[in-house]
Amino acid sequence: MAEVVIQVEQLSKVYRLGTIGTGYLIQDLQRWWTTTVRKQQDPFFQLPGTHVSAGKSGQSQALWALQDLNFEVKRGEVWGIIGNNGAGKSTLLKIISRIIRPSHGIIRGKGKVSSLLEVGTGFHPELSGRENIFLSGYILGMSKREVQAKFDEIVAFSGVEHFLDTPVKRYSSGMYVRLAFAVAAHLEPDILIIDEVLAVGDAEFQKKCLGKMREVAHNQGRTILFVSHSMAAITSLCDHGLWLQQGQLKAQGTVGQVVNQYLVSTQQSNAKQSWNDPAQAPGNEHIRFKQVELIPQLVQPDAPLDIRTPLTVKFQFWNFTSDTVISTSMVLFSAGGECIFDVPSTATRFQAGIVSGECTIPGNFLNDGAYYISLYVIKDTTTSLFDYEHCLTFELEDYRGEIQWFGKWWGAVRPVFPFRLTQTEFSQLEARL
Amino acid sequence: MPPNFYSHLQDDSSTTTSSETKEEWEWEIVHKTSWWGTSFQDLWAYRHLAIGLVRRDFLLVYQQTILGPFWVLLQPLLTLVTYVVVFGKVVGISTGGVPPVLFYLAGIVLWNLFNDSFTGISSTFRDNAQVFSKVYFPRLIIPVARLGGYLFHFGIQFGLLILVLGYYVLFHHVAVPSGRWLLLVPVAILLVGALSLALGLFFSVMTAKYRDMSHLLSLGIRLFMFLTPVIYPVSYVAEKWRWLVQLNPLTPLFELFRRALLGQGTVSVPQFAYCFTFTSVLLLAALLIFNKQGDKLIDIL
Repeated sequence: MAEVVIQVEQLSKVYRLGTIGTGYLIQDLQRWWTTTVRKQQDPFFQLPGTHVSAGKSGQSQALWALQDLNFEVKRGEVWGIIGNNGAGKSTLLKIISRIIRPSHGIIRGKGKVSSLLEVGTGFHPELSGRENIFLSGYILGMSKREVQAKFDEIVAFSGVEHFLDTPVKRYSSGMYVRLAFAVAAHLEPDILIIDEVLAVGDAEFQKKCLGKMREVAHNQGRTILFVSHSMAAITSLCDHGLWLQQGQLKAQGTVGQVVNQYLVSTQQSNAKQSWNDPAQAPGNEHIRFKQVELIPQLVQPDAPLDIRTPLTVKFQFWNFTSDTVISTSMVLFSAGGECIFDVPSTATRFQAGIVSGECTIPGNFLNDGAYYISLYVIKDTTTSLFDYEHCLTFELEDYRGEIQWFGKWWGAVRPVFPFRLTQTEFSQLEARL
Repeated sequence: MPPNFYSHLQDDSSTTTSSETKEEWEWEIVHKTSWWGTSFQDLWAYRHLAIGLVRRDFLLVYQQTILGPFWVLLQPLLTLVTYVVVFGKVVGISTGGVPPVLFYLAGIVLWNLFNDSFTGISSTFRDNAQVFSKVYFPRLIIPVARLGGYLFHFGIQFGLLILVLGYYVLFHHVAVPSGRWLLLVPVAILLVGALSLALGLFFSVMTAKYRDMSHLLSLGIRLFMFLTPVIYPVSYVAEKWRWLVQLNPLTPLFELFRRALLGQGTVSVPQFAYCFTFTSVLLLAALLIFNKQGDKLIDIL
């Protein structure tokens, strides 16, 4: 069993609103006078709804950025930390990096920690690329010898060889980011902490970064804590997941489980609507909908909907017309309102009563993204009886499998067609460059 | 010794399960901030950063300037001309028998060291908020690097002073400074540096908390110059007010500096002892406050 290199016990970070200070000496003195000496309400921080209690005791509201976290990280593990904005991910990384102190609790650890919370920390726009490599390396905790030893590798990785002596303010933003990441990527700590650095840069660069990080994690056996909003990157890079929600540890475990739980909780879907009373149901004098439902055919019950999932749409409506030829169109729109497809049903003669329909969108057909479905009920294949817009909404997560590229996949749909490559001739060809 | 931020655990009796009793942690992070802050080894490990920062600051000041590093010399020279004309010729303050050019230049050079490093260090937190909140390194590195940078500047200006002194010795029959006094010159310089570091550290915490403090500072330091024998010798001050000037811990240092180099200056052992004690106590207190408050300040910045 690998040894534990980071142990977090009952870690909390609390910010007390209104106790930090106003930033002006004269105001702080005035405040101290009114709240402490005269026992009156704080003149500068008035919290809505808490006038009396906040004023009387001189105390203020607490904001728990992190609350009672407990976890252990073993040597060589790669942890992905996920959660919504403001969940405390960055706070946690900052505490482990020693930038800010926790309010309660303790973190124990072994080995040298380096953190990369921002691309280009310590870079100065006026200095040349060469100067910045050294300075940034020092700030991140490298010694002069380490930077010198890695210098050529860093330059090669960043691809800015020709501009080493140009001030980085004249670099394109892409070059700047590449150089900055290159320095950080060549750190050799025991524990590496990385916060959302892939948000910058183009697809090519992201691929390179992820490749480098994968190499660091798997070949060199580093312990890594990694924050990202890209679930694809987290899933491919990490083996453990940690899900924070409003400062609390929501789940931890293998990365697949945690990511799935997180995605299920965040997916915006409106998967089922039903009405018992026709008077309240959407519709008109001809048609009223009784029920619409989206039934995903998931392999695992707790997994989120992804592009592999077949989706079955089932619906029922009250038909108030009699002896009418009715067909239904199911129209799928992307969240942006672009129509992806329009599938008509067969047209059949129906009597008054309840009509049911069902249609399945196969898996491995739609691209990832958010969608909504509208159902149009049509008479005699020409006249619209009722248009039920926006009746179902859902989101599909991305799934790449073995593909190690994480840019946005092009196309309105992403169908899987039979596609084969074969070698039809063997011969020694000279490379012509 | 109190525990450091990343201290070795002194005793590991409080661990929870029996299997962990043998665990030895290399560091731990707790909510308490320590007075002592980073250990000396920690600072030493980041020495390249300090050197790199000094180098950066020097490169930055003179990049894209026409005169480049000559500005280091031009600034005191222009100030010198102003002082000689205004205080020497127009106001007519006595320089106690020393050629005015030498007298003022010595004062300007030493005052620049104090003024620049004090002002530079006092904005440590405000200038580096971005870096401090993104990466950890001993925060003391920044003020130390700044002091180093200004000492380097001072070195160049001091060279100019020596050249001018050499000229006066050769052509104007100014006495050659005696060897024993010369030994005290580095002491005076170091103490001025230490005092500016101490005051700078203290006010860096204050200006980070209270932004209006920085306006007060720039005003205060200008007034403080007139309480320091930069443009006048202590002997020129009326007996009635001399105690006020001598209360200033910089006074014996300026007088010592001039006494050693130019042979003119009034400094006594008790005055020097007062200055030395004052500086040491203040530096220690400032270091403690800087360490203790530094971690809290990151939350505010």
